[in-house]
Amino acid sequence: MSWHVAEEDLRAYARGELAPPLLWSADAHLAGCAECRAVLAAVWEPGALDAAWERLDAELDAPRPRPLERLLLRLGVAGHTARLLAATPVLRRSWLAAVTLVLAMSVLTARAGHSDTLFLVVAPLLPLAGVALSYGPAVDPTYEMTVVAPLHGFRLLMIRTVAVLVAGLALGALAGLALPGFGLGALGWLLPALALTATGLALTPRFGPVGAPSAVGGGWVALLLVADAARESGDRALAPFTAAGQGVAAGVAALAAGLLFLLRDRFDRSPSPFRGGAR
Amino acid sequence: MSPASLLLPSAQECRMTVTVSASGLGLRYGRTHALDDVSLRLGRGVTGLLGPNGAGKTTLLRVLATAVPADEGAFTVLGHDPATARGRQELRRELGYLPQTPGFHPDFTPFEFVDYVAILKELTDRAARHREVRRVLAEAGLDEVRGKRVKKLSGGMRQRVALAAALVGDPGFLVLDEPTVGLDPEQRMRFREVIARAGEDRTVLLSTHQTEDVAMLCHRVLVMAGGRIRFAGTPAELTARAAGRVWSSTGRDPGAKAGWRTGAGTFRNVGDPPEGADLLEPTLEDGYLLTLDGDPAEVTA
Repeated sequence: MSWHVAEEDLRAYARGELAPPLLWSADAHLAGCAECRAVLAAVWEPGALDAAWERLDAELDAPRPRPLERLLLRLGVAGHTARLLAATPVLRRSWLAAVTLVLAMSVLTARAGHSDTLFLVVAPLLPLAGVALSYGPAVDPTYEMTVVAPLHGFRLLMIRTVAVLVAGLALGALAGLALPGFGLGALGWLLPALALTATGLALTPRFGPVGAPSAVGGGWVALLLVADAARESGDRALAPFTAAGQGVAAGVAALAAGLLFLLRDRFDRSPSPFRGGAR
Repeated sequence: MSPASLLLPSAQECRMTVTVSASGLGLRYGRTHALDDVSLRLGRGVTGLLGPNGAGKTTLLRVLATAVPADEGAFTVLGHDPATARGRQELRRELGYLPQTPGFHPDFTPFEFVDYVAILKELTDRAARHREVRRVLAEAGLDEVRGKRVKKLSGGMRQRVALAAALVGDPGFLVLDEPTVGLDPEQRMRFREVIARAGEDRTVLLSTHQTEDVAMLCHRVLVMAGGRIRFAGTPAELTARAAGRVWSSTGRDPGAKAGWRTGAGTFRNVGDPPEGADLLEPTLEDGYLLTLDGDPAEVTA
């Protein structure tokens, strides 16, 4: 053997505190080096074995992560964040299945009717609804415990919002790919989706977790009806899906995100049913 | 004694180290005063909160747990003032809360659920967190079912999961909203064990309908009605309110505020006894009933 494991590392190894990649090389080396094994035996502290057994026991005892958590862990999400996300109601299969179904139907309608309008109208509403359904007393069974937890309510909301947005936008983008005939126009829902979601959240402290997204969703449908009525016969796209409309959507999304940030502390209290919003 | 005397500490309060202190708490729901000028002081140990339905017990607990802000008044918990964002967060770090209807993610196991709550309580180090989760699950007697899904557990077991979640992170202030409701006698006994142990070095506020819980567990008791505190003192003091006001008779006594035929065939009456009545030893329940029945101004400790 041309080299030996440093004694300090062997002590850490004995305590179970040596981290990879040093751990791996120490493991491999110890198998073939009697000298290092002797040093290891000498530095082995009494009680270390018990501690190691306890660690092993705890490891065997810890629940095996569910598929969603495993996927998140594989994507590099921290273990505790993955557990928080696993408790998000809308990341469950039922919600994802519903979103897929709605998108599939609007894609089929678009392909049959040669118009992507229905898809563009529906797709931005899905992330809005998804985010609305991922928090709040009506949908989160542990809401009361969550509110009084020291983890900042806004942080939890943002973790869940980002997860729902990523899932929703990915499914929407996949659906958009199924409409190749409409080119980039089929992605026109993305910015409105962000604008609606951010506005819905920003209005929540004032109008509550049900009122705000409902009002924003209703506003979106009303806006499209008005845009449809105002559309001149030559126009193919509704106003929100034109270049100018997309610019407005981006502006609204940025403004709402700023407002949301300013109101972040308001997500720290339970909404009172008699006062209409979180205080 | 005037209502203002509520604000004056009793002899017992003078002896205890105050950990939770509230003054003038008020909260309205529409026109209803859910809390009406509530002031209190709590120290270490288990304090029982008794009162009929709609008395404002849950509202008081939710305010003290920072789930809802009060319209009026102020309070501190272990020196932390929830009026500021910083104080609120510090308070929440010291808080264990079992809500009246605790919710669960039904697909989680007790281990996963308590682990989830531990993360909400900022225990991010996995090894330390899992150690803590194992500790509280053992404390709540859930060792054998920690791998089962919560939706497959009985109501009593779920209640224990919620208690374990409240205990995680070793909080200094435990708020328990009717934790023994719907439990069978054996489960209730186990709950009392855990709560009594928790109260040895913490401040525990326990809302309950069971005067028995208070008699067996609590070193202090508050009685609420109509959004106000009607009594604050020791269980013995509450019992003493009924001294000389419980008597036995062979027939129904029209002077009794409450009276019922006991298993022995005689009537047990609570109220204003007639001259020469056969007086009985009062219970905490008698004191509680008379406190609810009395004039708020005279029922302070």
